[in-house]
Amino acid sequence: MEILDKLINVALIAATLRTTAPILLVALGGSFTTKAGIFNIGLEGQMLAGAFFAVIGSIWTGSAFAGVACGVAAALAFALAFAVLVVTFRANEVVVGLALNILAGGTTISLMKAIFGTRGSIVGHGIVGLPKVQIPGAQALLGSWAPLISGFTPIVYIAFIAVPLLVLFYKRTQLGLYIRVVGEKPEAAEALGISITRVRYIASLLCGLLAGLAGAHLSLGYITMFTENMSSGRGFMAVAILIFSNGDPLKVLAGCLLFGFADAFSLRLQTFGFPSYLVLTVPYVVALTALFALSYRARPKVIRETLASMQKLLSVDRNSAPVDKNPQ
Amino acid sequence: MSDRLRAFSGQIIAVGVALLLGAIIIILVGESPVHVLMTLLRGAFGDQEKIAGTLLQTTPILICGVAACIGLRGGMFNVGIEGQLFLGGFAAAWVGFTFSLPAGIHTLAALALAVVAGAAWVAIPAFFRARYNTNEVVSTILSNYIAVLLTSYFTIFLFKRPGGWSETPPILATAYLPEIFAFSRLNWGLVIGLLLAVGVALIFRYTSWGYGVTMVGSAPKFAEYGGVDVKRQGFVVLLLSGAVGGLAGGVETLGVHHRFMEGFAPGFGFDGLIAALLANGSPVATIVTALFFGALRSGSLLLEVDTSASREIITVIQALIILSVSAQVLIKRRGDSQAGERRWKF
Repeated sequence: MEILDKLINVALIAATLRTTAPILLVALGGSFTTKAGIFNIGLEGQMLAGAFFAVIGSIWTGSAFAGVACGVAAALAFALAFAVLVVTFRANEVVVGLALNILAGGTTISLMKAIFGTRGSIVGHGIVGLPKVQIPGAQALLGSWAPLISGFTPIVYIAFIAVPLLVLFYKRTQLGLYIRVVGEKPEAAEALGISITRVRYIASLLCGLLAGLAGAHLSLGYITMFTENMSSGRGFMAVAILIFSNGDPLKVLAGCLLFGFADAFSLRLQTFGFPSYLVLTVPYVVALTALFALSYRARPKVIRETLASMQKLLSVDRNSAPVDKNPQ
Repeated sequence: MSDRLRAFSGQIIAVGVALLLGAIIIILVGESPVHVLMTLLRGAFGDQEKIAGTLLQTTPILICGVAACIGLRGGMFNVGIEGQLFLGGFAAAWVGFTFSLPAGIHTLAALALAVVAGAAWVAIPAFFRARYNTNEVVSTILSNYIAVLLTSYFTIFLFKRPGGWSETPPILATAYLPEIFAFSRLNWGLVIGLLLAVGVALIFRYTSWGYGVTMVGSAPKFAEYGGVDVKRQGFVVLLLSGAVGGLAGGVETLGVHHRFMEGFAPGFGFDGLIAALLANGSPVATIVTALFFGALRSGSLLLEVDTSASREIITVIQALIILSVSAQVLIKRRGDSQAGERRWKF
C-alpha cells in the first residue's frame, strides 16, 4: 500500500496532466486534418519545428510568448508546405508527411550547428521558459489537491480548454461542419459548392497552429531546452490516437490521457530501478497495443452515425440542400 | 519508352529543383553551396578509399531500399525498416559471438537469424494490417522506437562486452563477411545487395507471384477479382520486406562493425525508403538512387571536418528531393491524364 501511495498520488496525476498536454494539443491539431480526410503523418515534424523555433524566438526576443509565436509560425510554415503538396499538388500524403518530418529533423540540427555551433542540444543561452499560472484561491479551495488545477503553464490550460471548444466547433459551426463533410463525403461537399481545397487548407493550418503550440510546450514548458528530435515520436503516437478515435475530440482526450499517464507512470517506474530502456518503451507499447486492440472494431457504425447527424445538421443549416429525406 | 524517358527526366528535374532549394538553405546556414558541393564530391569520390567508403555506405541503403521496394510494389508502406535493421543487426551479432561454427556456415547462420528477426519484428503489424486493415505506416513507425530501445537494452543489460561501453562482445572471425579490397572495409555485402536488387526485379518481372503483388499494389480490386488473396498477399509482402530489412542489419554487423553497438546504423532504414521512393519502387533503379544517397552520406563525413555546415544538411537535401519529386505529378497531369499517372501517386 505504501508503494502504491508512492506510485499514485496527486503529484502523479498532475504530472499526467503535464505530459498529456503536448500530445493532446498535437492530436487535436491532427483532428482537423483527420476530419477533413487527410492522413497527416507530418505532425511529428511540425511539432519539432515548433519546439526549435520557440527556443530561437525566446532567445532572440527574451520573451517566452514571442518564442511561442515563433514556434507556431514555423509549424504553420510546415503545415502550409504539407497543404500545398498534398492538396494542390495531390502528392501522396504519407510520402510528403514523412519527408517533411525528415526535413524538420535535418533543418533543426543544421540550424543548431549554424547558430550555436553545437550538436545535441541547446541549453541556457538565455532561453526564457513559460510562466506558471497560479489560480487564485486554488490553495484555499482544494488544499493539497490544488496542484491539479493550478500551477501549470498557459499551454496546458489551452490544451484542455480546446477539447470542449473543438466539440462545439464540429457540432455547431459551419466551418466545423464543412470540414466533416469534406472528410466524409467529398462528393457531397462538391455538390454543395464547398471548396474542398479551401477547407483542407484551413484544416491543415489549424493543425499546424496546435502542433506548433505543442512543440513550444516541449521546449519552453517544463524544461527550457531543445534537443535533437525532442518530439521523440509523440506526433506519431498522436496519429495512432487519431486513427482509433476518428478525430473526435473527447475520444482524443481519452487516448491522450492514457498516454500521458503511461508517460508519467513510466518516469516513476524509472526511479524504482527498472531498466530505463525498457521503461522508455512503455508509451510506444501502449500506443501500439491500443492501435491493434481497437482496430478490429467495426468502422461502418461510426460512419453511419456521422452521416446521420450530418444529414440532420445540413437540413437545418440550409433548407435547399439536396438531402435524402427518406427516413432510413 | 518515351513515357519512361519522360518520367526519368521528370525525376532529374525534381532533383535539380531540390538541389537549388538545398543551395539556398546552405547559404542560409552561412556556407557557400559550391564549397559544400565540392567537399561532398571530394568526400565521396576523392580517391579509391573514398569511393570504397561511398560503396560501403551504399550497401545498407541499397538493401533497405530493396526491402522498401517489395513493400511499395505490394502497396504497403514499410516505414519500420529501421527497426528491422536494428533487430537483424543484433540477431546476427548474437549468433556471431555466441556460437562457434565453421567459417561460411557461421556467416550464413547469422544472416539467416537476421532475416528471421526482421520478419518476426514486422509480423504483428503485418498481421493486423492484413486482417483488420490497421494502418501499417503508424504501427511500423512506432515499432521502430521500441526496436531501437530493445536492442539497446539487450546490448547494455544482457550482453555487454566486459569493460566495454555500449557494445556486445565482438563476433568470431568465422562469421565475418569477407572484405573485397585490402584498403577498405568494403565487403561482400555490396554484392549481396546488388544480387538481391536484380533478383527481386526479376521476380517482379517474370513470376506470376510478382505480377500478383504488383497488381495488388496498383489495382487491389482488379487483383481480387482476378483471384488473388489480397489479405494473405499483403501479409507475405510485409513479411518479406521485413526479412530483407533484417538482412540489411545482419550485413552491416557482419561486414562492418563485427559487433552490435547502440545506435549502430542510424537512418539507413529511412534512407533506403527514400531511395526506393525516388526509384519509384524499382529495385534496379534503387541501385542508382542508393549510390546517390551513399555518396551524399560518405561525402558528408568530410563536410563535418572541412566546413562549418552540419552533416545533417544532406538529410535536408534528401527530404527536399523527395518533396519535389512528389510535387511533379502536377506538372505531368497537366498534359495527359493517363500517362502521367503513376503506380504510387507521389
